[in-house]
Parts: sequence; structure tokens; C-alpha cells
Amino acid sequence: MSRHSAINRFGRSTNPAFSRGFDSTSYEASMGERMTLDGAVNKTGILLALCFSGAFIGWNIPALIWPGAIIGFILAMVTIFRNPAKAGSTAPLYALAQGIFLGGITLMYESAFEGIAIQAIGLTFGILASLLMCYKSGLIKPTENFKLMVVAGIGGIFLLYLVSFIMSFFGSGLSLLSPSNGSLMSIGLSIGIVCFASLSLVLDFDFIEEGAEKGMPRYMEWYGAFSLMVTLIWLYLEILRLIAKMRSR
Amino acid sequence: MNTFIFGTLAIISLFIFFNLGKVKASRKQLDRNNRINRFGNQEPNNIIEGEAEEINDKDDDQKNS
Repeated sequence: MSRHSAINRFGRSTNPAFSRGFDSTSYEASMGERMTLDGAVNKTGILLALCFSGAFIGWNIPALIWPGAIIGFILAMVTIFRNPAKAGSTAPLYALAQGIFLGGITLMYESAFEGIAIQAIGLTFGILASLLMCYKSGLIKPTENFKLMVVAGIGGIFLLYLVSFIMSFFGSGLSLLSPSNGSLMSIGLSIGIVCFASLSLVLDFDFIEEGAEKGMPRYMEWYGAFSLMVTLIWLYLEILRLIAKMRSR
Repeated sequence: MNTFIFGTLAIISLFIFFNLGKVKASRKQLDRNNRINRFGNQEPNNIIEGEAEEINDKDDDQKNS
């Protein structure tokens, strides 16, 4: 079959491999703009480094603890509700601001319970690594039902935080959430919260894996790294609280 | 001792994260039909920019002759 008769029968092929003017550099450029696992992990590394730098500042200047917390919260809201394409500019600032807050709060805990900071850091990263291994090996499989369970649990926990926050304006928050409450019920609640925060990490891994697999735009690397940081910071704070409760007994 | 144990745990865990994080998940994890579908059934974009060349019937005829 001659070439022109083939074209008449099947139409022109859009397969770029058949075009003689194929430009490999533009191909690489277009492939370079896709989200990758490497990119997301590297960006998480950048955010962790910024968080540790912020923590160093917060540890040495504890007066910055509340400005850090408020700015961090605003930046998190902006990153979540604004266009995810802008996550590259807000996520590093969020990590720095939250780092300042974490540095200050860790100092407060450390002055009450010596050695608590390194325990909480070790356990947080330990949970991160072990859950990553479980996820990569397929031991934990996130499904729609799994997501529903985790999201429902997190919703309940945040309702509890909200009630405690509102109650704190009238003199006392929920005593169950107090780090000085060493009762079994309070410790059990903290263990439950740590479990939900940990399972939320699995959803973050799956988000990054799926984004890379489906070739999402490169800015989603920042968004994936940001969501991982939010969960890690929450997990760290809850582990700090749990250890404090256990040591208060 | 406390610092040493938990410090080592943190360093090892970070090492695992930065190495294992870059590895693709197992087939057992990826080849499932009950996966969470966040981004819809999007096919990876395989349209590659390049120049297209018009095929002339005259060229064919010249070559054949």
C-alpha cells in the first residue's frame, strides 16, 4: 500500500513518533514539567529543612511562638483554598512559620519534661518511615472506604479541638486534651488521635504516588510535600502531648 | 542514652524516607481496582511538541519514477 493511499484510507497519523521533525529537547521539556516521586520527596526535604531552621529560631526566641502559629495557620489556609499552583510560594513560608511555632512549643514541653523533644522527633520520623514501608510494599492499601474512615475520624477530632478552643474562652478547655492529664481515658484519646494522624500519612503517600503516576503538573509536587508536612506537624504535636500525658502519670 | 536512641531512630527513619520515597510502590499496591481516584481517569499527556511535515504526493511519484 503506497503512503498516500494509506493516508486516504486511515487518515493522517497523529503519532509524533512518525513525524520527521521530532524535536527531542521539547519532548524532554514537556516531560520535565510532570510531577515525579523524586521531586515530591526532594521538596519535602526542603520543607523539613525550613521547618528545622524555623524551630531553631523559635527555640531561641520563644516570644515568636504565637506569631509563628497564626502566620502558619493563615498560610496553610491560603495554600489549601487558593490555586494549588501557588503552593510553591506559600508552602516554604508555611514550613518556616510552623517551625518557629514548633520550636517554641517544644521548648515549653522540654522545660517540663526533659528529653521529650528528641523522643517525639524520633517517634514521628519512625512512624513516617515504617508507614512508608508498609505503603510501598502494599501492606496497607488505601481505598475509598479507608479514606472515608480517616476523614470521618479527623473530622471528629477537629470538632473536639474546636469545642476545647471555644471552652477555653470561658475559663477551661477540655481536660481530656490537657497534656498534664495522665488519666487512662486521656491517654487513650491521644493514642487514637496519633493513630488517625498516622493513617493520614498513608493518604498523603497515595496522593503523591497517584499524582506522579498520572503525570500531574509539576507544581503538585509542592502541594504533595505541603500536605505531608501538615500531617507530620500534627503528628509531632500529638506525640508530644501523648508523651507528656504518659510522663505525668 | 535516651537522646542517642531516639536521635538514631530519627536519622535512620529520614534516611529510609529519602531513599524509599523515590522508589515506585509495589505492583500489589498500584495494580488494584479499588484505588482512590483523585484525579479522574486522566491519561498521561503524551502529546509531544514538534514540527509536522506535509506529505506531498508529488514526492512519492518522483521517487517511484
